[in-house]
Amino acid sequence: MGTEKSTGTKVFSLSGHIKRPGNYEVELGFNLKKLIYDPEYGGGILNDKKLKGVIPGGASTPLLTEDMIDVGLDYEALVDAGSMLGSGAVIVFHEETCIVWVMLKLIHFFRHESCGKCTPCRQGTAWLEQLIHRIEQGNGKPGDIEKIDDICGNILGRTICPLGDAAVMPIQSAIKLYRDEWDYHIVHKKCLVKSDFAF
Amino acid sequence: MAEVAKKEGSTSRDTKTVTLTIDGRSVTVPKGTTVLEAALSVGVQIPTFCWHPKLKSIGACRMCYVEIEKMPKLQVSCATEAADGMIVHTDSDLVKRGRRAVLEFILLNHPLDCPTCDKGGDCDLQNLTFAHGYDDSRFDFQKRRFIEDGVESTFDDLRIGPEIILNRNRCIHCYKCVRANKEAFGEYDLGAFERGNVTEINAAPGQQVDNPFSGNLVEICPVGALTNTDWRYKIRVWLTQTVASVCPYTSSGSNILFFKEKHQNRVYRVTGRRNDDIDDGWLPDITRYGYQIIHSEDRLRTPLIKKEGNQETATWDEALAVIEKRLGEIKDKKGCVCIGGLIDPSLDNATLHSFSKLIRRTLGSNNVDFRIDYRMLPKTSSDNYSILTSRPFRIADIDNSDVIITFGSDLLKEHPNEYLRIRKACNFHDSRVFSLNPYAVKSADVAELELVYGIGADEAIIAALCLAGVEEKLVSIPNPDQLKEATGFALMTEAAAVCGVEPDQIKIVARALAKARKVTLIAGELVTRSRDRENIASALCNLNRVFGIEEKGQIAVLSRYANSMGARKLGVLPDPPAVVKSELTKLWGGWPDTEPRNTDSMLVNMKKEEINGLIVMGADPIMLYPDREFACEGLEKLDFLIVCDLFESETTALADVVLPICSWAEYPGEYVNLEGRVQQANQAIKPLYESRPGYEIVELIADRLGQKLFESDEVRRIEIEKLLEVDNGLSWPDSFVNTGWTNEEHDDEFTVPLAVGDDPHHCGHRTEKASSLVNFCGEAYIEISPGLAANYQIEEGDSVRVESPVGKIIVPVRISDFLDNDVVFIPRNFSSTPVTSLLMRKCRVDRVKISKVVS
Repeated sequence: MGTEKSTGTKVFSLSGHIKRPGNYEVELGFNLKKLIYDPEYGGGILNDKKLKGVIPGGASTPLLTEDMIDVGLDYEALVDAGSMLGSGAVIVFHEETCIVWVMLKLIHFFRHESCGKCTPCRQGTAWLEQLIHRIEQGNGKPGDIEKIDDICGNILGRTICPLGDAAVMPIQSAIKLYRDEWDYHIVHKKCLVKSDFAF
Repeated sequence: MAEVAKKEGSTSRDTKTVTLTIDGRSVTVPKGTTVLEAALSVGVQIPTFCWHPKLKSIGACRMCYVEIEKMPKLQVSCATEAADGMIVHTDSDLVKRGRRAVLEFILLNHPLDCPTCDKGGDCDLQNLTFAHGYDDSRFDFQKRRFIEDGVESTFDDLRIGPEIILNRNRCIHCYKCVRANKEAFGEYDLGAFERGNVTEINAAPGQQVDNPFSGNLVEICPVGALTNTDWRYKIRVWLTQTVASVCPYTSSGSNILFFKEKHQNRVYRVTGRRNDDIDDGWLPDITRYGYQIIHSEDRLRTPLIKKEGNQETATWDEALAVIEKRLGEIKDKKGCVCIGGLIDPSLDNATLHSFSKLIRRTLGSNNVDFRIDYRMLPKTSSDNYSILTSRPFRIADIDNSDVIITFGSDLLKEHPNEYLRIRKACNFHDSRVFSLNPYAVKSADVAELELVYGIGADEAIIAALCLAGVEEKLVSIPNPDQLKEATGFALMTEAAAVCGVEPDQIKIVARALAKARKVTLIAGELVTRSRDRENIASALCNLNRVFGIEEKGQIAVLSRYANSMGARKLGVLPDPPAVVKSELTKLWGGWPDTEPRNTDSMLVNMKKEEINGLIVMGADPIMLYPDREFACEGLEKLDFLIVCDLFESETTALADVVLPICSWAEYPGEYVNLEGRVQQANQAIKPLYESRPGYEIVELIADRLGQKLFESDEVRRIEIEKLLEVDNGLSWPDSFVNTGWTNEEHDDEFTVPLAVGDDPHHCGHRTEKASSLVNFCGEAYIEISPGLAANYQIEEGDSVRVESPVGKIIVPVRISDFLDNDVVFIPRNFSSTPVTSLLMRKCRVDRVKISKVVS
């Protein structure tokens, strides 16, 4: 079962803006798009809204946008797509989700989880939370996004344990994939999309 | 990431090497060395905050990044083991960017209050930011602050111990203080609390950071988070200069640096001067803060002469004239044999040697001794006890001993440096430690097994070990019957029963001793202070013979004071070993033909008025001698007493002439540590007030008595050098020695055995003048076990009356965490509560009765 290199099955925990959230055990290499839209699995996006993005493997993995989800859920294919299989916690966002708000939730979690032993993670996660919070609140300053990206670079691969990497990888991908939204926050002091659904 | 928990000194047992390239240089290091240490070995400095040469690496600060070819990410060099063929770059652009990022992170929440920070100018964070950091900050938020009670200030200064002040805002979380406290000192009074960027260092709940090594935490702090009251807000470090010296309180002679102001005649602090052979860079607090006595307000400033019962200020000339007249009178009327000399063994070689020559050549007697705080000393120095005090011993060899035995010693109090060594051997080399003590001591916390034997049964426990070796066939000796006869026990179990220790436990120690590859056996003060020290020493000689300890390691009774070893080597004893005596005879062209008199017999003769004059150099026999009444009676009968000291004491109060002596910082001197290593203490400041160095005082007295002691300083130096080269020629006895042990009868009224020793923050009458040390421990106390406290319905802090047949004192109670038998402990050398008033010189075990003082 599975693909040539990733054999066997895996339980995927589907959550977020999805009609049928839950745990699905599928073969590795199972198509992500099918997992989300197939009536036997996710059954499509809540309220039939448009898909905005997916975190395919838990809070520490880079995002995939709508045009990237036609991909097999296995170790190799997801790496090729720029993300990771991770824990298999698939989080789905629809079009009305503010990506900056998502990142704020994620970095808040990582800041809280940081043990404080090594410098980049202890100081960096707290700083990132402060910066992202400011942008989300409409108080971001020009240059903040570049600063965030740079700080992420200074944490990635520089910490004792992978928590530092985990904290910054989704942020880096969110900036890469949704740069316009970040810029909008800073220029217009408000959100491009209306976030009306908390999960 | 190829991170390893690197063990300090792990290189010592590994002979394989690896070769790598660091910044284009080929480096060969033992396997197990970290990249950082490999770089250091060729002089490549890698910046660090959390790395410490004597602690395990944790790779927390991330400052020591290096780039290693074929590894995709930056590596922390402190936690990466050097491997063959590695190509390391310590200064590439990537490395520089990495360091700069770390400094930016560290500085985010650092208050940058450098202008008011004591660490300014001496701060790793300042220095490394200067060398590697940004000149600006990209952080535009409010810095995290720990604020007590809503006070808006970055001066978040918490006193977390008698001396230590913590500023949590300055802390950069290198965790060195917590790690050193735990790994090196075995203390848990300091910890890290919370997590993430609100992690804070603080004292453990309900505790004070008051361990005897706490000063080191301040010294290793890379920023100004931990400071001490000793140095705080007194001077900027760049206005000071350093002078290398050694500690006058510990017999290992910790290496220290004095920080003195360039133009004032004043020392501002003492820090370690790492010497891996001796101290590993750690200083006990007594060494660190003990320097404060130098500038104590209570220093004797001028000579004093007793006139009609009152001591009055005098000039040196007047004082020396009185000495010339009065000593001359005694000399002429009664003969030189009626003058004696006692000298403090923490004085330097020149003073000790001059003093010995003054007594022996100028005054012509053998009434000289440095062992003032021991009872019933042997008159000759060729006994088994002297053998054990002069065996070769190296502190650094403790590290790689796989079995370490401490016998009758509370090392933490007597030999703090050696205690840390044993702890290190345990932590880093998995050495097995066994402690044999007549009462449970804190120092035994490193021990795998602590055997607490009946007080006074010292010979019996050693006999039991010897017999266990034979009975268990761990060793084969040609004449086991002779051993049985010598020890007085036919069976191990008999000896074990006498000491009240389980035979199985004795077998465990015997087995470890027999199997050991390398042994260190340290016998301490409980042996040296015993009336029957010779018997105990003989027992140790037998133990050495049975297990061949010295053939595979070292066995020694450690010297107690900073220059006891020097005093012994220079023959400042009534009857030095034959070879020392003949060398001295050769140097001086003669030897006094008088009976050798040690401290005890001098006091006896003073009482009999057969010694009428006494010169005391730097000591306070009334406080030190373990029978206060006896010492007082002797000294009071003297016709003429000269005392040279730094401070007034009970002995100076009796003196006819008091001369102010210099402290060790005020003249250059040489000290011989317990290993026999000669160490130089340089002059840091000019003599204070009218004080003079000890040797100068001795020479002035000799001049007045009509003899120039030395043609020149050079002559004295050569004499000392020759004596230090002499091997005392004492060797192990060539058969088992009879130790004969009998139980001492004791009075039914006085039942509680009393142990007297040192407090870790106090050593001799002088340290009471160091205010920081007084902050740790200002007065004597009695330590009693919880069980005994319950019996007497005593609680912590209560006052207790302690009575012996000869005296009584009242002291506050401390309930001990570790004493588990009915022994009580009282520290000595507190002038307010002289415990020596309870002691009797002829007793083997001092016993007292205690009762609660009802207020």
